Amino acid sequence: MFYSFRSKIIASFLGVTFLVGIVSLLVGGHLLTKSVLGEARNRVAQDLNAAREMYENRIRVLEVSLNTTTLGYGFIVALKDKDTSDLVFRLGRMAQHGGLDFAGVTDERAETICRIGTHSIPGKKAQPPNPIVLQALEKKTLASGTVVLSEEFLNSENPQLAERARVDVVPTPGATPLTEKVVTSGLTLSAGVPILHEGQILGVLYGGILLNRDEKIVDTVRGTVFRNEEYKGRSIGRATIFLKDVRVATNVPAQDGGRAIGTRVAEDVREHVFEKGERWTKQAMVITDWYITAYEPIKDISGKIVGILGMGVLEEKYIDLRWRTLASFVLVTLSGMALATLLGCFLAGKIFNPVHRLIRASEQVTEGSLTPDIGPVSSGEMAVLQKTFKEMVAAMGRRRAESQDRLLLSERQASVGRLAAGVAHEINNPLTGVLTYTHMLLRRKDLNEEVRADLQTIVEATERVRKIVKGLLDFSRQSKPDREQVDVNRLISSTMALMENQALLKGVGMVFKPGHDLHMVNMDRNQFQSVLLNLLINALDATKPGDSITFSTSNSPVKNEDGQEGIEISIADTGCGIPPEHLNKLFDPFFTTKEVGRGTGLGLSVTLGIVQRHGGTIQVASEVGKGSTFTIWVPLEGRVK
Amino acid sequence: MKILVVDDESIVLESCKRVLGDSFEVVPARSAEEALEVMRREPIEVILLDIKMPGKDGMTLLREVKEKWPNIPVIVMSGYATTQTVEQVSRTEAATFIAKPFTPIELLEAVAKVMEKEGKL
Repeated sequence: MFYSFRSKIIASFLGVTFLVGIVSLLVGGHLLTKSVLGEARNRVAQDLNAAREMYENRIRVLEVSLNTTTLGYGFIVALKDKDTSDLVFRLGRMAQHGGLDFAGVTDERAETICRIGTHSIPGKKAQPPNPIVLQALEKKTLASGTVVLSEEFLNSENPQLAERARVDVVPTPGATPLTEKVVTSGLTLSAGVPILHEGQILGVLYGGILLNRDEKIVDTVRGTVFRNEEYKGRSIGRATIFLKDVRVATNVPAQDGGRAIGTRVAEDVREHVFEKGERWTKQAMVITDWYITAYEPIKDISGKIVGILGMGVLEEKYIDLRWRTLASFVLVTLSGMALATLLGCFLAGKIFNPVHRLIRASEQVTEGSLTPDIGPVSSGEMAVLQKTFKEMVAAMGRRRAESQDRLLLSERQASVGRLAAGVAHEINNPLTGVLTYTHMLLRRKDLNEEVRADLQTIVEATERVRKIVKGLLDFSRQSKPDREQVDVNRLISSTMALMENQALLKGVGMVFKPGHDLHMVNMDRNQFQSVLLNLLINALDATKPGDSITFSTSNSPVKNEDGQEGIEISIADTGCGIPPEHLNKLFDPFFTTKEVGRGTGLGLSVTLGIVQRHGGTIQVASEVGKGSTFTIWVPLEGRVK
Repeated sequence: MKILVVDDESIVLESCKRVLGDSFEVVPARSAEEALEVMRREPIEVILLDIKMPGKDGMTLLREVKEKWPNIPVIVMSGYATTQTVEQVSRTEAATFIAKPFTPIELLEAVAKVMEKEGKL
């Protein structure tokens, strides 16, 4: 039971820690996942903004290049003069500086005058429409933005461009079912600037960048936004430009290790971006890895959604971060539990070691030891328990000693009683003979004085024997008290009256101070009178002329073990007192200090026997030369022992 | 006048005979049976009876005597004079009780008292 209680305490500690740990793990884990993934999503969304900014910036750069070119005076002159070689030279320089894939000049009817590339001077055959130039002419101002150019246009500009733009569509799981197998048109950033001279539109300067298979924008975005950060050997960030839902420019790796050009976006992304025109963030499997991705539509200059700008952050980094943090959580919880176990053991030990010692101590007490080892005294309630235990054992010891004393005494009394009865019977018969014949002899008149004196001695000695036997018989009288309600004050008065003459003769004063409203006591009147008489005779024996003997009674405040009330009777004398070495032998049978022939040594032990049979006690206080006080306490309803 | 003394101790019988012999014819009996025999045989005025005897004890004898001869006074003597004994004796209406050991005067007084009470003196 003891050990199970200790286990219970430790288990409770563990249980609470475990519960708290699990709950904090669950809640913390949930919050953590939410915050880590939320953080990742936020980052992707911000990265997407940055990418969009860079995308737009690229268009601005394009505009600046074109504008700068048109401002040059030589360019206007060359255009007016239709000096194609000068124009091509200028276009080439512009394309080189601005990083343009295509550039050209048209007249005010959108007919191409010249351009960079293999066919710088177009032939007579009809040119495919140039949407950017048409818009610039229509608006009579700069037109720029995303433009999807047909294969035909690209081909006419530069067959290499058409070739570059051509992308084979790769079947991708999760994408919309395939409709076309190849992408031929080109997604471009284009701009067109009307060239004005003296209020007249001379023509349009146009140029642009083909995004199909372009690595510059996506890699710049990655380099700028993610600073080429890597996680486990893989680049953490990805940027992709889709034409419709096909990757045309990306740094997402394909399964073969190259770029995943031609792969497609997941169907739900396509739906959200194309059909709802929304920005869309999700966790997605992109070719080989899980990414946290964000997509937003790319609109062309007429506001039509033609593609998607997508960004992705490798999810693994965040998942790992989450797991690492969760692992720390688990570690902390486990440490907490270990700590709780240790603490539980420590506390249980601290609490139960004294308890265990007390248990061992009580076992020792059971085995009979009255000096059990309870170990060092603790503090608090445990100390109280230990102290109480000690007191209890001490009380047990006292009581055991008392009861042993009492047992010893009663055994002694019983054996003395049996002896007395036997002796009385055996001695009294011959004693009758001795008394009879001695008295008969004494009656004779012819005795000389010497013989008479001798016979007288025999008579006296025999009287002494008679007294001793009488005392023995009194002592052996273990009869039950015959109880009645007794007024102790009256009993004392009558007892004192019996001895009045002797006291008077001896010159000892007797005083009685009766207690007021003294309770009646249920006692054996005759036995108790012999008690009082005995004490009074002893007091008279101890006193000399001029001394005094004082009886007093009172209702006692003391109660016995059963809670019974009682009265106190004291008889104090101013006699010779009792030496301390005699005090503890006072009640022993046959102990006497009186001169030979005066006391049997049985008076006080008979007295004690009677008082004890009434459930009472006798106490003695004495000082040699000053006197003695015997105090009797008896319960109102004396017990039968 | 015949007085029957019943005691198993010869010294007691002798003592009684010595004390009472001047005034009475003392008939000794050493046991209850012997006492009853004497009672049946001779007219007895007073019985002096010991309580504690081997065989049939004094108390039993006392009851039998009181049944058959209720008018004969009995003096009970005992060396074992406890309150209980005295009480027991008084319940059986014995005339008186005398504790052993007694002096000749005490015995004579006790007998005289009984005789006086019974109007036999």
